[in-house]
Amino acid sequence: MTATMALVRFKLAAYARSHRLLQPLFALVCMLAIFYGAPTSPGGEPSAYADAAGLLVIVFAWAARSLLDTEPPTQRLISMTSAGGPGREVAAGLAAALMVDAALAAIAVAVPLAHGFVETPSAAVIAQGAALHGLAVLVGIGLGALSSAQIIPSPAASMFALLGGFVGLLLLSITPAGPLLVPIVGWMRAAGDGALGAMLPALALPTVLWSCLAVLLYVRLRRTRP
Amino acid sequence: MRLSNVSFRYMRRGPWVLREVELDLRPGEVVEIVGRNGAGKSTLLKLLAGALRPTRGSVVDRPPVVGYAPDAFPTGQPFTVAAYLAAVARIRGVAGPGPWPERLGMTELLDLPLGDLSKGSAHKVGLAQALLASPGLLILDEPFAGLDAQTRAELPVIAGEIAAAGGIVVVSDHQGGLRDLASRRRLSVVDHRLADAPPEAEEARPRLSVVEILVDSAEAPELTAELRARGYDAHLRPAPPPDAPAEADSPTPPDAPTAADATAPATTEVHR
Repeated sequence: MTATMALVRFKLAAYARSHRLLQPLFALVCMLAIFYGAPTSPGGEPSAYADAAGLLVIVFAWAARSLLDTEPPTQRLISMTSAGGPGREVAAGLAAALMVDAALAAIAVAVPLAHGFVETPSAAVIAQGAALHGLAVLVGIGLGALSSAQIIPSPAASMFALLGGFVGLLLLSITPAGPLLVPIVGWMRAAGDGALGAMLPALALPTVLWSCLAVLLYVRLRRTRP
Repeated sequence: MRLSNVSFRYMRRGPWVLREVELDLRPGEVVEIVGRNGAGKSTLLKLLAGALRPTRGSVVDRPPVVGYAPDAFPTGQPFTVAAYLAAVARIRGVAGPGPWPERLGMTELLDLPLGDLSKGSAHKVGLAQALLASPGLLILDEPFAGLDAQTRAELPVIAGEIAAAGGIVVVSDHQGGLRDLASRRRLSVVDHRLADAPPEAEEARPRLSVVEILVDSAEAPELTAELRARGYDAHLRPAPPPDAPAEADSPTPPDAPTAADATAPATTEVHR
């Protein structure tokens, strides 16, 4: 096991044992209960998946932020020296956040298949739903990382950045510049219009680019915020 | 390992914490860093450990395995001591905690949650994790704080062993715990710059005074215990008879605490 993977395991263990995981998990369960409380008729699955993925960005961001905040600052210094450098500690934190968010997204994709969809949709629709939740995970990691305690030490300011950032993303995505930003509302519209399959690449590209830029900014800022 | 013209500040327009530090560290060297609180010692140690990057200048030839023991180990983590050390051992790629729990006198702590540890016990965990992988660079930030006598005696031996194996040991220390390690090099952080520290004999030592307090014999034990609890080196002895000649040149300074009512022959002598 490499040092980075061992550090990922350590961070995940700390996250689970500290019960911080329960907060976003509880939020996820509540939101899924709202989204899929009423049965979704055949044909409505893409739209249901797109709405859920767009609104679950805040849960994925919350989970990423709380995971990155789990280790005390001094432990992060110890982890840096133990793993062989600050870069490995930062990479391990992001990888652990990705794993947690991926697990939450898998739950979000699987739950309506068991309870919510009247009929099991086609594999293509499930794949589109999984892809949208994957995009939501990337956005959530970027937002969660930039609102983590290493970047914004004040808990109040950090929470404001998390919630404000999510609302800002939603509002910006309905502006004319929305397709070039993170087009969350664009996902929903495309799914409602039945054009999600054709438009998915165009919707994914800016989402991936902006998410990667957010993560790169986080990595850059961590150079002076160990 | 070499630091060349290293300067550091935490924010772009913030104050400089360290300026133009030049330092060569040779294998086998034990370096003690002294300086007043807030001088920048801990920041220098983090730069040496690689946890911080210099704002200016460079750090080259850092040994690949670095052990870093912070001045305050973070106990707010959901692990037992054994689980924590096992996790750090996995990260460092070593089999287990090795001899360190025994050498640091912490075998009985292994099953305790980190959150239940006293300050000294937590400090031992911080030391043990830093030593797990035979570090080529061992950095100890105030390592003697809160340690029991056995571990205080063992730590210079361990530092000597790391150095004898070709490692570099850098210690920030206010308590003179490495005093008996004759081969150490002493550096001082003064005004955000690093310089050779003056020999210990020339360093200002705290001025000591003796305060004699004459109290009723019945109150003397309680007062003595209270003074000891406040950290004073207090001793109780019978007062001389009233007709005995007074001692000349009392060392009591004018602003020192004065005696209680001298109604009975008992004297508490207080050193600080």
